[in-house]
Amino acid sequence: MTVLNGQVEPAALDRTPALEARDIVKRFDGVHALENACLSVREGEIHALLGENGAGKSTLIKVLTGIYSPDSGIMYRAGEEVEFANVRVANRAGVVALYQELSVIPSISVAENILLGEQTPSRGGMVQGKKLRRRARELLESIHQRVPLGMLAADLSPVQQTMVAFARALATDARILILDEPTASLTDTEIKELFAVLRSLRDRGVAIVYVSHRLEEVFELCDRLTIMRNGQTIVTKDVADSHIDEVISTMVGRSPGELYPDRGTATTAVALSVKNLDGRRVKNVSFDVHRGEVLGIGGLAGSGRSELLRILSGAQKHAAGEISVAGVPLPHSPGVGRALNAGIALVPEERRSQGVILGASIQDNIAVANISAVSTLGLVSGARIADITGRGMKDLQIKARSSRQHVSELSGGNQQKVVLAKMLARKPKVLLMDEPTRGIDVGTKAEIYRLIRQLAAGGTAVITVSSELPELIGMSDRIVIMHEGQISGEVTADEADEEVLLAYCYGKADSHDNFS
Amino acid sequence: MITSRNPGLEDLTDTRAIPRRSVGQTLLASGTVLALFVLVLFFFAMRPDVFLSFTNVRNILYQVAILAIIAGAQTIVMVVGDFDLSVAATSALAGAVAASLMLSGVPISIAILAALIVGLLIGLANGLLIAYLNLSAFVATLATLTSVTGLAFLVTEGTTLFNLPTEFNNLGQGRFLQIPLPVFIAIGISLILWFVLRFTTLGRRWYATGGNVEVSRLSGINVQRARLLAFTVAGLVSAIGGVLLAARLGSASAVQGEDNLLFSVAAVFLGMTIVRSGAANLVGTMVGVAIIGVMSNGLNILGVNAYVQQVVTGLIIIAAVTLSSFKSRGR
Repeated sequence: MTVLNGQVEPAALDRTPALEARDIVKRFDGVHALENACLSVREGEIHALLGENGAGKSTLIKVLTGIYSPDSGIMYRAGEEVEFANVRVANRAGVVALYQELSVIPSISVAENILLGEQTPSRGGMVQGKKLRRRARELLESIHQRVPLGMLAADLSPVQQTMVAFARALATDARILILDEPTASLTDTEIKELFAVLRSLRDRGVAIVYVSHRLEEVFELCDRLTIMRNGQTIVTKDVADSHIDEVISTMVGRSPGELYPDRGTATTAVALSVKNLDGRRVKNVSFDVHRGEVLGIGGLAGSGRSELLRILSGAQKHAAGEISVAGVPLPHSPGVGRALNAGIALVPEERRSQGVILGASIQDNIAVANISAVSTLGLVSGARIADITGRGMKDLQIKARSSRQHVSELSGGNQQKVVLAKMLARKPKVLLMDEPTRGIDVGTKAEIYRLIRQLAAGGTAVITVSSELPELIGMSDRIVIMHEGQISGEVTADEADEEVLLAYCYGKADSHDNFS
Repeated sequence: MITSRNPGLEDLTDTRAIPRRSVGQTLLASGTVLALFVLVLFFFAMRPDVFLSFTNVRNILYQVAILAIIAGAQTIVMVVGDFDLSVAATSALAGAVAASLMLSGVPISIAILAALIVGLLIGLANGLLIAYLNLSAFVATLATLTSVTGLAFLVTEGTTLFNLPTEFNNLGQGRFLQIPLPVFIAIGISLILWFVLRFTTLGRRWYATGGNVEVSRLSGINVQRARLLAFTVAGLVSAIGGVLLAARLGSASAVQGEDNLLFSVAAVFLGMTIVRSGAANLVGTMVGVAIIGVMSNGLNILGVNAYVQQVVTGLIIIAAVTLSSFKSRGR
């Protein structure tokens, strides 16, 4: 485990890298998203970029493609120092990132999608239809694809959309292709097809950066890999010299212990009971949570963990199953209002779009979730709003000028505390928290961990979803891992171990033994 | 490649937490209010003998009373983050329904009640389409605007209905303490709407929904019902405006008060510039209504062509909204 600080390992010096990033630093709100991140990609290789969620992969990609400007660091394109002020500059230098959701424009045809914007053949402002189709067909054939050119992109399958996006990248003469989780929505056959195309692109000298959580794919497809952790590049090496266990343990690293408060507040009284819950992205999930217990839910993005919380909070309807709070069953798909009244409160995943009204004051935000508590016969009492706001701000130590300050002016950590304050004012029996510490600095993280434990000590059952395994292990009494909508594993805090959890995350329920 | 630029996230940096606003920003913050004063001073300076005379001020108030009511309706809908293109059409239909019923011998009070119910139902229909069938407010209210105008033509048979009962006309033309009745009614409705928006749970729900639908939903607010109610109230209030307009004119036609649609939206936009959050608010809307009223009256007194007035009104709106967007960018 060598930490590379601007030094490229000797093998990479043989050839000038197609794209190299050295010592990239990027901070948000004073928190390091990237700290001396390095990546060096050669022509004609498929290079895996690995790391846990939050390790800095996406931020690095955004720096490489000009979406973010780094605070410091240097980038080289084929040996020349470059600066990508925006995406267009990066594209012109041949660096193109393909994202899952944004790969095609659904409302226009395949051919038009392939030759967008400046690439559209035209003369005197008129599109040359014949030439457009011919060029588009050539590009598709060069990656061995036959997609009807006149078809609307909306009607394509996911893999076809990806192929169209590839063809477009080729049209702009992309030399470095960055793919973020390209196989997430593909079937096995489609993945094979995709890999064949990627290999043929590689053989034509294109450099491919491949971001994926699926390690098996990485070992099948990639030539080299770079592992990131906590915003830093840990190592770059040949896939042939790597072993999957070692890759996992490098990704995971050590967990800091002192961040997390002591456990031992769990009781045996059931606070929330879930039986055979079925819904979008959630399949036959059953579990109990006890008063005073902190249950952690882990799993990869898309594994159904957020959807599970949304169903429990009433924000998303479910198809079947029973939810009961302290033994009292909730009506089917109760809606948020009734779930809140029954004592289930959700601190949602996307703070800025789901948690707080940014343009409103702290007190108005807190009042929104407590309208009946602050009113009599339909009339709102300013004094009572001030009262619950004051209490919330004091209990959670929200740092603000006054309760009338707009939430948009607060730091991420304080915004998160506002979300917590408005939900805690409802005195929930079960508190659901989706990624409670995302984008929050370490100091506030520790405060939130302490708060969670305090709530548990007061008898609240807390369920937290987190992508960060150290956080799950440090904070929870018990951990449940989800994989493709189902619970793939459950461990107590004492047994928890990142490698085991990660194996469950990848759905390898039986691979426990392989790691030990 | 050393830079401290932080695209897309500038809003989050620590500098925002520093609560200082420059004098310029404070002026801009009240730019719309300032514009109103400047307009008043300007017209006063041009025609000191006429502009601020009791008769003329009363005139201005009389002229804007109905716009104030329609703009109040528009404010409610814009508070929840939508807008309603059908307010003026609804008011015209309500006036036409009342007039036509009265002409066929229905008692005045029943005719007015029927007109208000018609307005309420149109608002309800808008709300159902938008909140429950998820049509965009633009499409839904454009469609109701079209159908409602058609209905108004049917009710009036394409003519102007007049010879309305004197008692009815007195509602729009009578005076109390020398002030025209519609002014009192407009003030009364505005006070009620202001109170509802500011002091009731319903107002809270409306503002929360307009602030962020998803946050409100996840906070346990029934956002569909909130939007439905906003449109329903807007329909009812528009109908009140329409009935008053018919009474003031002593007649009803399918297209009367058409201007009120654009002017009501303009007044709310102007009003949004006076608060820091940039949300629709009733006090601001009334400032907007006053600006529009003062402008039109002042230019009239100066003998400026009515078409020029319309051009100038548009420019004023652009100026005020641009200023306030500078303000929010500056923050």
